[in-house]
Amino acid sequence: MSVYKRNYRAYTGKLTPAWTRIFVLARYGYAEAWSSRITVGMFTLSMVPCLVFLFAIYFANNPVARLLLGLRPQNVLAINAAFFINVLAAQSVPALILASWIAPRLITFDLADDALPILLSHPISRFGYVFGKWLALFASLSLVTWIPALLLFAYQGYSSPQPWALSHLPIAGGMVAGAVIWIAFLSLLGLALSSWVKWRVVATGAIIAAILVPAGVGGIVSAVLRTRWGLLLNFPYMISLLWQRLLGVPGPFNSKASLPTAAITAMFTLACLLCVAMLYARIRAREVVRG
Amino acid sequence: MGVIDLEGLEVRLGNRTVLDRLTGALQGHVIGLLGPNGAGKSTLINTLLGFHRPARGSAHVFGLDTYRERAQIRGAIGYMPENDSFIGNMSGVRFVRYMAELAGLPAAQALERAHEALFCVGLGEVRYRKVNTYSLGMKQLIKLAQALAHGPRLLILDEPTNGLDPIARLRMIQLIKDIRKEGSVRLLISSHLLTDIDETCDEVLILKRGRIAALCNLEAERRSNRSFMELETVGATEQFSVRIRGLGCECACFPGGRIKLVIPDHIEARDLYVIASEQGVQIRRMNQRRDSLEDIFLRAMDHESAGPANVSL
Repeated sequence: MSVYKRNYRAYTGKLTPAWTRIFVLARYGYAEAWSSRITVGMFTLSMVPCLVFLFAIYFANNPVARLLLGLRPQNVLAINAAFFINVLAAQSVPALILASWIAPRLITFDLADDALPILLSHPISRFGYVFGKWLALFASLSLVTWIPALLLFAYQGYSSPQPWALSHLPIAGGMVAGAVIWIAFLSLLGLALSSWVKWRVVATGAIIAAILVPAGVGGIVSAVLRTRWGLLLNFPYMISLLWQRLLGVPGPFNSKASLPTAAITAMFTLACLLCVAMLYARIRAREVVRG
Repeated sequence: MGVIDLEGLEVRLGNRTVLDRLTGALQGHVIGLLGPNGAGKSTLINTLLGFHRPARGSAHVFGLDTYRERAQIRGAIGYMPENDSFIGNMSGVRFVRYMAELAGLPAAQALERAHEALFCVGLGEVRYRKVNTYSLGMKQLIKLAQALAHGPRLLILDEPTNGLDPIARLRMIQLIKDIRKEGSVRLLISSHLLTDIDETCDEVLILKRGRIAALCNLEAERRSNRSFMELETVGATEQFSVRIRGLGCECACFPGGRIKLVIPDHIEARDLYVIASEQGVQIRRMNQRRDSLEDIFLRAMDHESAGPANVSL
């Protein structure tokens, strides 16, 4: 089938392995996510806290710069696990905002244009479709969470006068694990909610609300019933507790503000299962006819 | 082994049996799928694509089970859905390339094939425009382009001429004929328009209330009906009819010089003219008619019998 001949010709070339089709979805999803200037703008803004942390590391390791600015050593942040908890906490907010912006772009366009019958008529399963989209979102969120955090860690290792990086490797591992859990959860939640809302703006609002509203409800439950279990609805708080444990930072002194790791894990697992069920019900080539 | 083999296929959606014990082998090069609304045409297509799991029986495409081996089948199928189904904010060429890559083509080949497919269906000049700016006819064509780009073995077209104006419809029919002529692709065309099926298909499956009302080889029907003829004559009609009976034709005479006859294979129309000339009979009109697909369809719709029927004339 040559362009100038304009007639049909069969394809006789080689085919890619079936498992790589997921990465086709991820690649196109990623390109779609970053084709928006708003996405690029959000990403740029999300790097501002990283710059602040970068300067903090610079001043912590550079006595001459401190002297020039008249900073006393006690006014400079100590670069330790608590510092990197702050990095994660600061980057988790732009990750949430970015997820709420990108996730609807990945799913809502397909649903609004009814593209699923065509997409799923290709050799790609429903799981493969969701996983491909999830990978695209996960990769995008990685750019604002664990990747800059690891770069800050590497910079600290480079600029520290004493050998620092090797003795603090568990911090790096904890950071990556903690950030991966958070963005994996955000990605799944974003896709699940986007699959149920056809309007992109509404989907964006729904994702942010799904994080903030239960946290508020959990706070009310805790206050009214005088129990700590209401915190199980507060995902940002639970992830911060998890980060503290992963990075080896002492938890809250008040036992009423603490939650067992098993309960946190169970709550995140439950939320993820709910998201999977939502996606399973919605991502279909055809509407299910009952009756 | 046919292109599509149905063995007691039963598909249920909820409590409703949509396809009821379909059995048959479809072997044509271009297979038409006919039936009134709700007959189960789209459900059959969805089952062939592996979207529905058969409650009983099985369906095979190129010998592959439609549910267990659906990934392999989908790799060999190009599907053009009935409704609008595309990604509107992508350019035409990017959309077709995306679909070709999903079908398994490497990125470079997918891009090349996307351009070729778009030129093939006549969208070459608008391939960089976003799909949601296309007209209805162009949207139909881009659905066809994405179904063709990866070079499928079976092309499933669900209502390909839906919503097209007469010129666009003719272009679509011509495209289907061109693809058929190329020879490497089998086609399954679902349509409400009998003329579309009649023009393009060599085999037709007619569904009614989820059952096979008729499974008919149109090519064979056309061949067998070639001998059916109507004449309008002036002159000694009776003697003329006696002579042509002598040739082995079945013949019936009607008032006004009208004669209906079934001619054996070895008799040509020219032989009739020779006899007419000898008898001094004028043949004013000769109508060599065959049963139209419409006749076959209407007869299939009249049949209430449950079992699959091979329609003959």
